[in-house]
Amino acid sequence: MSMIEVKNVTKSFGDLTVLKDFSVDFNQEGVTVLLGPSGTGKSTLLRCINGLETIDGGDIIVNGLSVKEKKNLRQIRLDCGMVFQRTVLFPHLNVMQNLTMSPIKLLKMNKKEAEEKAVLYLKKVGLESKAKAMHNELSGGEQQRIAIARALMMNPKALLLDEVTSALDPEMTSEVLKILETLAQEGVCMLCVTHEMQFAKHVASRIIFMDKGIAAADETAENFFSVVRKENERIAKFLQFIGE
Amino acid sequence: MSFYDYANLTGNDAMQYLRAAGVTLYITLMSLLIGTILGVVLGLIRCSKNKVISILPLILIEPLRNSPLVTQLFLIFYGLPIIGGIMLDPFPAAILALSLNTAAFMAVLVHNSVSAIPQGQWEAGLALGHSRGSTFIHVISRQALRLLVPQAITLYISQLQCSSLVALIGIMDLTKLGQNLALRTLKPFLIYGIVFLIYYVISSPLSRLAKSLEKKLSFHY
Repeated sequence: MSMIEVKNVTKSFGDLTVLKDFSVDFNQEGVTVLLGPSGTGKSTLLRCINGLETIDGGDIIVNGLSVKEKKNLRQIRLDCGMVFQRTVLFPHLNVMQNLTMSPIKLLKMNKKEAEEKAVLYLKKVGLESKAKAMHNELSGGEQQRIAIARALMMNPKALLLDEVTSALDPEMTSEVLKILETLAQEGVCMLCVTHEMQFAKHVASRIIFMDKGIAAADETAENFFSVVRKENERIAKFLQFIGE
Repeated sequence: MSFYDYANLTGNDAMQYLRAAGVTLYITLMSLLIGTILGVVLGLIRCSKNKVISILPLILIEPLRNSPLVTQLFLIFYGLPIIGGIMLDPFPAAILALSLNTAAFMAVLVHNSVSAIPQGQWEAGLALGHSRGSTFIHVISRQALRLLVPQAITLYISQLQCSSLVALIGIMDLTKLGQNLALRTLKPFLIYGIVFLIYYVISSPLSRLAKSLEKKLSFHY
C-alpha cells in the first residue's frame, strides 16, 4: 500500500478547476518533485493532502486514512509535515519554543526531551546558536530552515514542501536547498513543489510534471531530464522557459 | 485665609471626595469585569467559522455601539420598569448599563484582534497537527492578546470617564459630588478642578501602561 494515494481528485476554486480527476501514489521513499507552470495545482495538491483544502471529488488516503474524514486530519498532519512558501514561524515564541511547543503539547514530550531534540535539529540546519532568537532576528533563509526543523520535530513520515525557496534570494535559497539535500541523503521522504531545477535534477528520485490540473508526466528524474524533455514539447518549452 | 475657608469646604467634604471616588471606582471595576467577560465571550462567538453563529452577537453589539451610553442607562433605569416591570436600583442599573456597553466594545476588540492574525498562523498550527481549538489556544490567542491588551486598557480608561454619566440617575459618584459641592460652595472651577484631578490621577497611569504595553508587546510578522 502506498503511503499517500491520491484517487481521482477534483478541486475547484469557483469556476476555476485546479485539479481534474487527478490520481497519483506516493511511497514513503525518496524525493518526489512536482514541477509545472504556476496555477497548475501543485501547491493545491499538497494542501489537499494535508487537509488544508477540502477536495470536491475523489479521495486522498494517507496511511490508510481518508482526508475527507475530519477526525483523521490530525493524524494525517502528524504523518505529513508541511513547510510553506512564506515562512510562518510563531512570532510570539523564540526559535527554541517554536520547535518544542508542538511536540510538548501534542506528542506529550517532556520539555527537556523536546529541547534536546530541538538542539539536534538546530544543529542539523546549522542554527544551534539561534535557539533564543526571535523570528525577526533571523534572515528569510534561516527562518525557512527553522520551519523545516520545526516540521521534523513532529517525526513526520513525509515532508510536504511548498515552494520553500521561492521567496528567498539565491544565497538563502542555496542554504535551504543544502539542508534539503542532506535530509534527502538521510532518507527523509519529501514531496516538493519547486522551480529549482538543479535541486530537482540532483536530489529528486521522481518528477511529476503537472499541467492544467493533470499529471502530464510521471517519471524518474533521470528519465524526465534525458528522455521525456526531448519527447514532450510542452515540457521542453517549460524547461527552456525557466532556463534549464 | 486657609484653603478650606477660601473653598468653603469642610474636612467632611474631603471624606466625601474619597467616598465618591470609591463609588466611581467600584462601579467602573464591576462593570469592566462583567463587561470584559461578556465581551470576550461575544467576541469569540463572532470569530466562529459558522456564519450564522458569528453574526448572532451583532444583535447585542450593534445597538450598544451605535447609541449613546446615556440613552442605554436611561432605558435600563427608566425604561425597564415600564417595559418589563423590572425596577432596578441605581447601582445595579448603572453597572448593568456600563457592563453591556463595555461588552459590546470589548467584543469588537476581541474579534478584530483575532481577525488580525494572518491566516498563515492558523495554517502553520494546523499543519503541525494542532486542532483548531489547540491552534487557537497555543498560537492565535497569544498573538491576539498582544494586540488586544493595549486597546482594552484604552477602552477601560474611556469607560472610567463614561462612568460619570451615572450621576444622572442619582448615584453619588465623583461627578455628582462635584455638582453638589459646586452648588454649595459656588466655586465650580475649584470643585470640578479637584474632580478632574482625581479622574486624571486614576486614568493617567492606565494610559501610560497602555502605551508601554503597546511598545513591549508589539511584533512584526
